[in-house]
Amino acid sequence: MELKNNLKELRNKKNFTQDDLGKNVGVSRQTIISIERYRYKPSLELAMKIARELNVKIEKLFYFT
Amino acid sequence: MALSKKEISILIEIIFSILFTLIFLPYFYRNQDTSFVFSELIGKVSEIIIFSAVYFSIAYSILELSYKSKITEDERSNMINSKSYKLGYLLYEFSLFIFIGTLINYSIFNNGAIIFLVISLLLIVSVIKSIYQFYLHRTF
Repeated sequence: MELKNNLKELRNKKNFTQDDLGKNVGVSRQTIISIERYRYKPSLELAMKIARELNVKIEKLFYFT
Repeated sequence: MALSKKEISILIEIIFSILFTLIFLPYFYRNQDTSFVFSELIGKVSEIIIFSAVYFSIAYSILELSYKSKITEDERSNMINSKSYKLGYLLYEFSLFIFIGTLINYSIFNNGAIIFLVISLLLIVSVIKSIYQFYLHRTF
Protein backbone atom coordinates (compact mmCIF):
# COMPACT_ATOMS: atom_id res chain seq x y z
CA MET A 1 0.00 0.00 0.00
CA GLU A 2 1.54 3.26 -1.11
CA LEU A 3 0.47 6.81 -0.31
CA LYS A 4 -0.07 8.88 -3.45
CA ASN A 5 -1.71 12.21 -4.13
CA ASN A 6 -3.49 14.38 -6.68
CA LEU A 7 -1.66 17.49 -5.65
CA LYS A 8 -0.37 18.47 -9.08
CA GLU A 9 -3.80 18.17 -10.76
CA LEU A 10 -5.65 19.95 -7.96
CA ARG A 11 -3.02 22.68 -7.77
CA ASN A 12 -3.21 23.28 -11.52
CA LYS A 13 -7.00 23.43 -11.31
CA LYS A 14 -6.69 26.26 -8.81
CA ASN A 15 -4.02 27.95 -10.96
CA PHE A 16 -1.51 27.92 -8.15
CA THR A 17 2.20 27.69 -8.91
CA GLN A 18 4.31 25.45 -6.67
CA ASP A 19 5.81 28.60 -5.18
CA ASP A 20 2.37 30.15 -4.47
CA LEU A 21 1.09 27.04 -2.75
CA GLY A 22 4.32 26.66 -0.79
CA LYS A 23 4.12 30.25 0.45
CA ASN A 24 0.44 29.91 1.38
CA VAL A 25 1.03 26.82 3.50
CA GLY A 26 4.45 27.92 4.84
CA VAL A 27 6.80 25.51 3.09
CA SER A 28 9.38 25.78 0.32
CA ARG A 29 8.75 25.13 -3.37
CA GLN A 30 11.07 22.11 -3.11
CA THR A 31 8.78 20.55 -0.51
CA ILE A 32 5.75 20.92 -2.82
CA ILE A 33 7.79 19.38 -5.68
CA SER A 34 8.81 16.46 -3.43
CA ILE A 35 5.20 15.81 -2.40
CA GLU A 36 4.03 15.91 -6.01
CA ARG A 37 6.70 13.38 -6.98
CA TYR A 38 5.65 11.12 -4.05
CA ARG A 39 9.13 11.42 -2.55
CA TYR A 40 8.10 13.16 0.62
CA LYS A 41 5.11 12.23 2.75
CA PRO A 42 3.91 15.38 4.52
CA SER A 43 2.85 15.54 8.14
CA LEU A 44 -0.88 15.46 8.89
CA GLU A 45 -0.74 19.17 9.70
CA LEU A 46 0.81 20.08 6.36
CA ALA A 47 -1.52 17.73 4.46
CA MET A 48 -4.53 19.42 6.08
CA LYS A 49 -3.16 22.89 5.34
CA ILE A 50 -2.70 21.96 1.66
CA ALA A 51 -6.20 20.44 1.49
CA ARG A 52 -7.68 23.56 3.05
CA GLU A 53 -5.74 25.80 0.66
CA LEU A 54 -6.97 23.80 -2.34
CA ASN A 55 -10.45 23.62 -0.85
CA VAL A 56 -10.70 19.83 -1.11
CA LYS A 57 -11.16 17.04 1.40
CA ILE A 58 -7.92 15.45 2.53
CA GLU A 59 -8.99 11.99 1.27
CA LYS A 60 -9.47 13.46 -2.21
CA LEU A 61 -5.96 14.85 -2.10
CA PHE A 62 -4.17 11.82 -0.63
CA TYR A 63 -5.05 8.18 -1.31
CA PHE A 64 -3.59 4.70 -1.03
CA THR A 65 -2.85 2.53 -4.05
CA MET B 1 21.48 21.13 -12.99
CA ALA B 2 19.28 23.71 -11.27
CA LEU B 3 20.12 24.10 -7.61
CA SER B 4 17.86 25.49 -4.93
CA LYS B 5 19.09 28.21 -2.55
CA LYS B 6 19.36 25.66 0.22
CA GLU B 7 21.55 23.41 -1.95
CA ILE B 8 23.76 26.33 -2.92
CA SER B 9 24.14 27.28 0.74
CA ILE B 10 25.19 23.69 1.60
CA LEU B 11 27.80 23.78 -1.19
CA ILE B 12 29.10 27.10 0.14
CA GLU B 13 29.35 25.57 3.62
CA ILE B 14 31.42 22.71 2.19
CA ILE B 15 33.72 25.20 0.44
CA PHE B 16 34.11 27.20 3.69
CA SER B 17 35.07 24.03 5.58
CA ILE B 18 37.62 23.02 2.95
CA LEU B 19 39.11 26.54 2.79
CA PHE B 20 39.42 26.64 6.56
CA THR B 21 41.20 23.32 6.58
CA LEU B 22 43.51 24.34 3.74
CA ILE B 23 44.66 27.28 5.84
CA PHE B 24 45.76 25.12 8.79
CA LEU B 25 46.45 21.63 7.46
CA PRO B 26 49.66 22.41 5.54
CA TYR B 27 51.30 23.85 8.66
CA PHE B 28 50.58 20.77 10.75
CA TYR B 29 51.34 18.44 7.85
CA ARG B 30 54.82 19.95 7.63
CA ASN B 31 55.23 19.69 11.42
CA GLN B 32 53.83 16.20 11.90
CA ASP B 33 57.01 14.99 13.53
CA THR B 34 57.54 18.13 15.57
CA SER B 35 57.16 17.73 19.31
CA PHE B 36 55.55 20.96 20.41
CA VAL B 37 56.16 21.99 23.99
CA PHE B 38 52.90 22.15 25.90
CA SER B 39 52.70 25.96 26.01
CA GLU B 40 53.41 26.14 22.29
CA LEU B 41 50.69 23.56 21.61
CA ILE B 42 48.19 25.48 23.74
CA GLY B 43 49.16 28.63 21.85
CA LYS B 44 48.57 26.98 18.49
CA VAL B 45 45.25 25.48 19.56
CA SER B 46 44.10 28.86 20.94
CA GLU B 47 45.14 30.47 17.66
CA ILE B 48 43.02 27.95 15.73
CA ILE B 49 40.02 28.43 18.03
CA ILE B 50 40.15 32.23 17.79
CA PHE B 51 40.78 32.16 14.05
CA SER B 52 37.99 29.64 13.45
CA ALA B 53 35.53 31.66 15.57
CA VAL B 54 36.30 34.82 13.56
CA TYR B 55 36.45 32.97 10.22
CA PHE B 56 33.16 31.12 10.68
CA SER B 57 31.39 34.19 12.11
CA ILE B 58 32.31 36.16 8.99
CA ALA B 59 31.66 33.27 6.61
CA TYR B 60 28.24 32.44 8.09
CA SER B 61 27.25 36.10 8.29
CA ILE B 62 27.91 36.44 4.56
CA LEU B 63 25.99 33.22 3.92
CA GLU B 64 23.12 34.36 6.17
CA LEU B 65 22.86 37.74 4.44
CA SER B 66 23.10 36.41 0.90
CA TYR B 67 21.16 33.16 1.04
CA LYS B 68 19.83 31.87 4.31
CA SER B 69 17.45 34.76 4.97
CA LYS B 70 15.59 33.81 1.79
CA ILE B 71 15.49 30.08 2.54
CA THR B 72 12.23 28.69 3.93
CA GLU B 73 12.86 26.23 6.72
CA ASP B 74 10.03 23.73 6.87
CA GLU B 75 9.29 20.21 8.11
CA ARG B 76 11.08 18.59 5.17
CA SER B 77 14.28 20.58 5.67
CA ASN B 78 14.10 19.91 9.43
CA MET B 79 13.82 16.19 8.72
CA ILE B 80 16.76 16.31 6.30
CA ASN B 81 18.80 18.25 8.87
CA SER B 82 18.03 15.73 11.60
CA LYS B 83 19.03 12.82 9.35
CA SER B 84 22.31 14.46 8.32
CA TYR B 85 23.15 15.57 11.87
CA LYS B 86 22.48 12.03 13.08
CA LEU B 87 25.01 10.77 10.54
CA GLY B 88 27.41 13.53 11.63
CA TYR B 89 27.01 12.49 15.27
CA LEU B 90 27.76 8.85 14.43
CA LEU B 91 30.81 9.88 12.40
CA TYR B 92 32.07 12.08 15.26
CA GLU B 93 31.77 9.10 17.60
CA PHE B 94 33.66 6.94 15.10
CA SER B 95 36.31 9.66 14.74
CA LEU B 96 36.74 9.72 18.50
CA PHE B 97 37.55 6.00 18.43
CA ILE B 98 40.06 6.57 15.61
CA PHE B 99 41.58 9.44 17.58
CA ILE B 100 41.90 7.47 20.82
CA GLY B 101 43.20 4.41 18.95
CA THR B 102 45.85 6.51 17.21
CA LEU B 103 46.89 8.12 20.48
CA ILE B 104 47.30 4.73 22.15
CA ASN B 105 49.11 3.09 19.25
CA TYR B 106 51.44 5.85 18.12
CA SER B 107 51.86 8.00 21.25
CA ILE B 108 51.77 11.16 19.17
CA PHE B 109 50.66 13.47 21.97
CA ASN B 110 52.45 16.85 21.76
CA ASN B 111 53.21 16.29 18.11
CA GLY B 112 51.92 18.31 15.18
CA ALA B 113 50.44 15.03 14.02
CA ILE B 114 47.78 15.12 16.71
CA ILE B 115 46.40 18.44 15.47
CA PHE B 116 46.75 17.30 11.87
CA LEU B 117 44.70 14.21 12.76
CA VAL B 118 42.02 16.21 14.60
CA ILE B 119 41.61 18.79 11.82
CA SER B 120 41.53 16.07 9.16
CA LEU B 121 38.89 14.08 11.03
CA LEU B 122 36.76 17.19 11.63
CA LEU B 123 36.96 18.14 7.96
CA ILE B 124 36.07 14.64 6.77
CA VAL B 125 33.08 14.38 9.12
CA SER B 126 31.86 17.88 8.32
CA VAL B 127 32.16 17.39 4.55
CA ILE B 128 30.51 13.93 4.59
CA LYS B 129 27.63 15.34 6.69
CA SER B 130 27.16 18.26 4.29
CA ILE B 131 27.37 16.04 1.19
CA TYR B 132 24.76 13.71 2.69
CA GLN B 133 22.56 16.73 3.45
CA PHE B 134 22.99 17.90 -0.15
CA TYR B 135 22.16 14.39 -1.44
CA LEU B 136 18.98 14.27 0.66
CA HIS B 137 17.89 17.67 -0.61
CA ARG B 138 18.37 16.47 -4.19
CA THR B 139 16.64 13.14 -3.80
CA PHE B 140 14.07 13.49 -1.03
